[in-house]
Amino acid sequence: MENIVPVSRALPYLGFGLGLRVDHYEALLEEPGNVEWLEIVSENYLVPGGRPLRWLERFRERFPLVMHGVSLSIGGTDPLDLAYLDQLAALARHVQPAWISDHLCWTGVDGVNLHDLMPLPYTEEALGHVADRVRRVQDRLGQRILLENVSSYISFAQSQLTEWEFLAAVAERADCLILLDINNVHVSAHNHGFSALDYLDGLPASRVQQFHLAGHEQGNALLIDTHDAPVADAVWRLYVEAVRRFGHVSTMIERDDHIPPLDSLRAELDHARALANALWKQAA
Amino acid sequence: MNGLGTLQKQLAEALRSESLPPLPLLRGDGVADATSRLAVYHHGYRIRLAGALRTEFPGLALLADRPFEGLLHEYVAAHPSTHFNIRWHGEGLAAFLAGDPAWRDRPALAEMAQLDWAISTAFDAADHAILRAEELAHVSPDTWATLRLHPLPHARLLRVTHNVDAFRRAADRGGARPRVRQLRQPRHLLVWRPSLEVHYRAVTRSELPVLQAALDGATFATLCERLAERHGARSALPRMAELLGQWLGEGLVGSFDMS
Repeated sequence: MENIVPVSRALPYLGFGLGLRVDHYEALLEEPGNVEWLEIVSENYLVPGGRPLRWLERFRERFPLVMHGVSLSIGGTDPLDLAYLDQLAALARHVQPAWISDHLCWTGVDGVNLHDLMPLPYTEEALGHVADRVRRVQDRLGQRILLENVSSYISFAQSQLTEWEFLAAVAERADCLILLDINNVHVSAHNHGFSALDYLDGLPASRVQQFHLAGHEQGNALLIDTHDAPVADAVWRLYVEAVRRFGHVSTMIERDDHIPPLDSLRAELDHARALANALWKQAA
Repeated sequence: MNGLGTLQKQLAEALRSESLPPLPLLRGDGVADATSRLAVYHHGYRIRLAGALRTEFPGLALLADRPFEGLLHEYVAAHPSTHFNIRWHGEGLAAFLAGDPAWRDRPALAEMAQLDWAISTAFDAADHAILRAEELAHVSPDTWATLRLHPLPHARLLRVTHNVDAFRRAADRGGARPRVRQLRQPRHLLVWRPSLEVHYRAVTRSELPVLQAALDGATFATLCERLAERHGARSALPRMAELLGQWLGEGLVGSFDMS
């Protein structure tokens, strides 16, 4: 299928940002400080009116925003939810985000939503299916999207490709971009016993547009992607490796539970900035 | 999409089943076996839906108290989510509580769920301008009979038999919550959002038929007739004026038209 979204459209570098959460609304507006941009969860603002949209208006005036969704189900086998896509497009027309992202996963089947980011089998069949849907989504939204690697706890007997081979191939075939979640790479590498560095080495650098950083917790045997803790040391080390490979990539911290005061996230953001700056200085 | 579709159906069925069936399509390894791996998603499915319901139904959570977790578990098991936004999974909870044999003998729970849900949906309902009293000043006296008031489109009337509104109000304020008791007579609650704050209050018995008629799109003459039926022709107009002033003052009316 011919892709009608212009390939040459360059997306901006936004610097260091945060996932926007209700707990930080007032503090962020009062003092943006070192927070250069914000990522909103699209579904939180796909509402008819009221307070959420009023807050969004204020953030839209003050910060560059990007939209991050959890419901696209790009790997799902139910038909694409065109009503959802049209709502997303309408929100994007209003917000004018720097870009729109979602996850490389499926979220439900037969009309039932599992509200989870379910991993795909890494097969040629799934690859063709996902790439075709990404192209259709991009055509409907009129822009390229970013797909994020999810953390996973299961793997499928029928998988023929590694996760990074699959992600890279989807991005190339569908001409989309990559939101690389560094924590998810670390979590999945532990859970499935692969090398996180092999993962980074296997991705096309020109397509990596955004980094996510987040915390996780240790389960019985598996690491669980909880977003409820500070970024772990191992993830910071992997972040350095990612910056070394991918250069200036817009970076943000996601926190969804046990949300600390904003200053605590600002400190983590400063740490990310210091690590990246040190590498960029060396390179210069 | 046969292979991929079949895989997704099998996996979704396994996640929704009470026990964890072995799934040959999954791979285990030295880190963890396939069943332990699947258990992460199995557990997560229930936790996530229950968590969203807990957020949407704060009054019900406090009223149901300890059985609340079991209640959520039963609802999640019986009702899969079909909307992309997880909060809409709660749309059927009040009806579930009203009809399920395990819960229907505690009607206060369904009523509280109904009130929680009305408040939650009013919170981000479409914004609407509020009709100001000055805008009605230009209506000529001989056209009032055919005037129709339009309450805000999201305004809801709920019939309750328990003092769930007092319970929820106390919960919202973090104060001591009253014992939930059956009312001597059923009454109606009005839920609406004049600006950014959701309001709710009890509707008086004399107001109810008039408000119901206004919500149904009746003319001003019909509203007065409803009052006349109860209070007599002489009292109807002053009482209507009083109600109109109240509704305008509390931001319940969005617009009007002349039919």
